[in-house]
Amino acid sequence: MTDVQTIDVGHLKAYDISNQDPLWWGQFMFVFIEGAMFAILIAAYFYTRLRMDVWPPPGDQFPHKLLPTLELIPLILSCAGTYWASEAAKKNSRGGMAGGLTLNIALAAVALWMRIVEWHSLNFNWMTDIQGSYVWAFLGLHTFDYIADLAFTAVLLLLVLIGRCGPKQRLGVHVDSIVWYFLVAIWIPIYVVIYWGPIIVETQQ
Amino acid sequence: MRASQDIYPQSVDVERDVEQLRNSWRHPRGVLGWLSFTTHQAIGTRYIVTAFIMLLAGGIEALMIRTQLMRANNGYLGPERYNQIFTTHGTTMMFLFAVPVMEGMAIYLVPLMCGTRNVAFPRLNAFGYWMYLFGVLFLYWGVFTNTAPDVGWFAYPPLSGPQYTPGKSTDFWAQMITFTEVSALCVAAEIIATISKMRAPGMSLNRMPLYIWSILIQSWMIIFAMPAIVLASSYLLSDRTVGTHFVNPAEGGDPLLYQHIFWFFGHPEVYIIFIPALGFVSAIVVAHARREIVGYTAMVLAQIANGFIAFGLWVHHMFATDLPQIGEAYFTASSMMIAVTSGVQIFCWIATLWSGRPRMTTALHFVYGFIAIFVLGGLTGVMLAAVPLDLQAHDTYFVVAHFHYVLIGGALFPLFGAFYHWHPKFTGRLMNETLGRANFWVLFAGFNLTFFPMHILGLKGMPRRIYTYPPGMGWDGLNLLATVGAWIIAAGGILFIVNFLWSRKNGEVAGNNPWDADSLEWAASSPPANYNFEYLPAVTSRYPLWAPREQRGVVTGLATDRREALVTTLMDAEPHHRYILPGSSIWPLISAICVTIGFAGSVFNGWYITWGAIISGLAFIGWFWPKRPLEPAHD
Amino acid sequence: MKTTTRVAKVSAATCTAFTLLLTSCIYNRQSAIDPAGPQSGRIDTLWWSFFWLLGAIFLIVMVLTAMTLTRQHRGFEQEPLEALHKASEKTEARLRSVITGATIVSIVILFVLIVASTVTGKANSELQNKKNPLTIQVTGTQWWWQIEYKMGDPTRSLVTANEIHIPVGRPIQIRGASNDVIHSFWVPNLNGKRDLIPSRITTEWLEADHPGAYRGQCAEFCGLQHAHMALWVIAEPEDKFNAWLEAQLQPAASPRTPEEIKGEQVFMNHACIYCHAIEGTPAAGQSGPDLTHFGSRRGIAANTLPNTMGNLAGWILDPQTIKPGNHMATIEVSSGDLQPLLEYLESLK
Ligand code: HEA
Ligand code: HEA
Ligand code: HEC
Ligand code: CUA
Ligand SMILES: [Cu+2]
Repeated sequence: MTDVQTIDVGHLKAYDISNQDPLWWGQFMFVFIEGAMFAILIAAYFYTRLRMDVWPPPGDQFPHKLLPTLELIPLILSCAGTYWASEAAKKNSRGGMAGGLTLNIALAAVALWMRIVEWHSLNFNWMTDIQGSYVWAFLGLHTFDYIADLAFTAVLLLLVLIGRCGPKQRLGVHVDSIVWYFLVAIWIPIYVVIYWGPIIVETQQ
Repeated sequence: MRASQDIYPQSVDVERDVEQLRNSWRHPRGVLGWLSFTTHQAIGTRYIVTAFIMLLAGGIEALMIRTQLMRANNGYLGPERYNQIFTTHGTTMMFLFAVPVMEGMAIYLVPLMCGTRNVAFPRLNAFGYWMYLFGVLFLYWGVFTNTAPDVGWFAYPPLSGPQYTPGKSTDFWAQMITFTEVSALCVAAEIIATISKMRAPGMSLNRMPLYIWSILIQSWMIIFAMPAIVLASSYLLSDRTVGTHFVNPAEGGDPLLYQHIFWFFGHPEVYIIFIPALGFVSAIVVAHARREIVGYTAMVLAQIANGFIAFGLWVHHMFATDLPQIGEAYFTASSMMIAVTSGVQIFCWIATLWSGRPRMTTALHFVYGFIAIFVLGGLTGVMLAAVPLDLQAHDTYFVVAHFHYVLIGGALFPLFGAFYHWHPKFTGRLMNETLGRANFWVLFAGFNLTFFPMHILGLKGMPRRIYTYPPGMGWDGLNLLATVGAWIIAAGGILFIVNFLWSRKNGEVAGNNPWDADSLEWAASSPPANYNFEYLPAVTSRYPLWAPREQRGVVTGLATDRREALVTTLMDAEPHHRYILPGSSIWPLISAICVTIGFAGSVFNGWYITWGAIISGLAFIGWFWPKRPLEPAHD
Repeated sequence: MKTTTRVAKVSAATCTAFTLLLTSCIYNRQSAIDPAGPQSGRIDTLWWSFFWLLGAIFLIVMVLTAMTLTRQHRGFEQEPLEALHKASEKTEARLRSVITGATIVSIVILFVLIVASTVTGKANSELQNKKNPLTIQVTGTQWWWQIEYKMGDPTRSLVTANEIHIPVGRPIQIRGASNDVIHSFWVPNLNGKRDLIPSRITTEWLEADHPGAYRGQCAEFCGLQHAHMALWVIAEPEDKFNAWLEAQLQPAASPRTPEEIKGEQVFMNHACIYCHAIEGTPAAGQSGPDLTHFGSRRGIAANTLPNTMGNLAGWILDPQTIKPGNHMATIEVSSGDLQPLLEYLESLK
């Protein structure tokens, strides 16, 4: 018998908090799926918009710009908290993770509050007309994911705080960050479509 | 039975390791235990069994269709029943049989072929299965309460909209789609992660078996295609239940937009079914022609190209909608280009068989049947890609003939072949070859008798989806032939079932590698142990089991007292780190039940979405809640 | 090589049988391969060229596949490299070049097919440039066809149902519309199909070469009675067509016999008038087919039944059994009223 081909892996780490981990790939795939869905929805929006003569349909207010634009600030800043937490996870620094996740959640909550305030000022809903259907689809889908990930982040924070935080949970903190980056990044084209869409493709008359 | 030990190093204590592996991979006991299984063999088997039951259901519906169409003005099924039956048949076959069965085979085979212990996310795997099962139950709940969908398997609005199809039937259909989407996406994600990160050391990309390639491509196609159907079915559902206007022509919604989105998914969908079948064919051809594949690189490139092109030809389902001519020309060209990528593969297989030593097993019979039927179906596809011909053939029995040729010839025949090929691995026993051959010939004859006449029916003007037709159209005889053929197919199906049941008890005991095949699953015992391999294999060639003994090897140093596997790098599959796989868990089932409450309830009341989301969220937290001890016992 | 000749013979026979099966049918009233106009003629030519070319490819592939069986005990087994599960480098290289060759040939053939198909498609849409077209609007409705002839003069426009008359040799523009769901207009002997889509107008051109009656049928699934949504296109010489047109432009014939007069009253006193229009009478309903010249038409209820007195009686008494789910209500007509009503309707030539 020969041992030539035997590969001993006993010395390798039992965890790796990086993009080499299958979990990171799983999360990446999830982001891909969501991204593809929003991309198709955006394409569908423009397809529909180009078939209409008047946009927004008569009766719908022109979308506000101030609050949604301001909302971008806490939203983008919240990525810093995420980044901090995910780096801290690699270094196994509980304090860093707690700080980063708290910052992330706080800023995200501010952005969410601004978004909900803005909703209340919309003078159309999904049943009003086709623009309403689209705008609310964007808002609804994104906000659903947003709240879900926020809840998940809160659970992670809780785990960090109570100290139930092994390598698996640190990996969780790390892969959770790519979802957050994605949710922030995809909001930017959605923001452009909802609030600037009626201006980008002007009504020809 | 043990895997062959002659390649194990002397340094290891095989007895101790096997003992520990048995313990750490043991299934929990009891009903609750059974519901918590997370090994890929168990989940894969559940998928396959459920999908075959769906084939039976879809087949029975097909027989009802054929019986109704047996003669002109037949009164067996009224229009309402007929529409329900053909819709349920198409839906069952596409969403609940063909895609899931391919997934089930992949879940079973991929970890074995990649040389690892389980899929990357075992609990997600279980969750995906439960979602699929609940989708099945949901649709058939509708069928048995007379709310079966009746708007065709692509449910075009406005017919499927609230105005023309009131009631719940279409909501059941659309929500069933959501179930299967979730399940398919779970499987795709974990298969991609498994193939990308958990291949045996040394199995670089260019050494992956062709079946693994085909599954990898199929999974990526699912990732890109399924979001479109998520959107299409949500459009429909929200228009129907909460009053949006996505596909409502009266409010600026556009029925054609739905068609675009549906077929942007729908065309890739047929390749999602078909590409894994090509993987089966490659595996069978290599093993039973006893020779390496001719043109490995060409095959891989052709399949990748196939995957890409598949996203650029959806409009060939919409030629009759009066699109601009320039667009039509583009979609004709792209549809025909896909004949090249399919052709290359056919040529490679023929060359392999030509220069091999084909052993005429039942599995190889099914491959030959596949070539004959699929090439014919592919060529009628090329005819349909020509706009003027399609304008005549669209929505006639010519199309019905085309897609049964490619679906049954291109997917079902390879699947049967694969079943005969891998049955010894699944169960430890070979299936009966004599019955197998009878099974093949009855299916082959019945199939052609059923579907060949449909080409002629289509040319003679018979539209599809009609519940009856007047006499004197020249359609009677051909329809009768088709009906007789369908019953012969059913006889073939019974032969298959008989053979399967017989072989469970009486089949010849197979041993690890009854076909002297090349790929890693044949190194495991038959049926494989829960942990697949005592020591994960290491690979130095594309056909590992055909490599000389001194080039084969194993991985040592993985912990055996917990479920541990090896993560390797994407391109070259070099060992990177060890990976602890989760064990059995009831949480996937609990989560699936919570999600189901949300989905199913929302058909009746929109608030269920919110409640469903909240309880599902809680279930997911339970799922991921860390158990002590947190740190791995030893590092 | 004996096998090959046998295979060739068998396949030649099969081809001939197939051709016969396709062309020898006596019921060519609704057939894509019995062309009666330039468009369907071109498609027919295209079909047969595809058929022969792709049929040849099929046979070649099948023969090659069959030959892998006859070579079972030759091939690389004779070569020395058996244990390696592959053939000699030379054989491998030869196989690769054959595959490459076959692929290149396939690409060339496909290119030819694409060109042929595009050229046919373009030619088929070119009737638009012909002079003196006749425009007919076809509106799909669950589950019958509304037909409108649009002449320049609005007083001379004509509404009818389920039957289209066209002059031979004149280009016809079909404007397709829908009142509810998607339907598809298809008269295979004349041209391919065109979907009728709500909120859109689609167009198609057709032309008949010689007189005849061509059957068509809705081709897009449109609900319960999709199976019973047929229409006739009747191509006639120009003068005959004009005579038909003039007759149809007239209001309904007034009833002459006492029976018919009674029949008219029955019609007007029943709910029929809410749904049906008869030009020249108070009946002006819009949700059912126009009955002004009903007696001249070939069929009842989108050609579910031939137009005979007996069938009409059956239809009026119980439309829901004949065509379950259709949108005509069942109206009580007493037995004394029925015969006059039938005579009246059939007199509307
Ligand atoms: C497994 C599933 C499967 C596969 C593989 C295919 C393969 C193909 N299909 Fe098919 N198709 C369906 C499933 C599939 N189809 C279904 C389910 C529908 C109907 C949906 C519905 O309406 O319900 C459909 C409908 C459909 C239509 C729309 C018809 C209509 O509704 O009007 C068209 C039109 O272009 C088409 C084309 C093609 C083409 C060009 C291929 C090509 O990929 C085929 C390529 C293969 C070959 C050509 C044979 C091998 C090649 C050679 C031997 C090389 C030499 C060949 C040449 C030089 C030509 N298909
Ligand atoms: C993978 C997909 C798949 C498969 C395998 C099949 C299999 C069959 N199909 Fe299906 N078919 C579709 C996918 C498929 N079909 C789709 C997508 C549509 C379009 C629907 C739509 O328009 O919306 C369609 C539509 C369709 C129609 C057109 C209906 C219409 O337009 O009005 C017809 C008509 O003949 C038909 C017939 C059959 C028959 C006879 C079989 C047979 O091959 C089935 C044979 C199988 C069995 C019989 C089961 C196995 C048998 C046993 C296990 C033995 C025991 C059972 C008994 C004795 C009962 N199918
Ligand atoms: C509720 C509306 C309604 C009423 C009332 C009604 N019909 Fe109809 N009728 C229809 C519709 C809709 C059709 C087309 C049915 C189809 O083909 O699907 C039709 C079809 C017909 C046809 C066949 C027309 C053709 O060209 O195919 C005749 C004849 C007819 N009706 C006569 C009558 C008579 C006589 C009465 C009264 C006793 C009557 N209808 C009452 C709606 C109505
Ligand atoms: Cu109208 Cu089908
Ligand atoms: Cu397609």
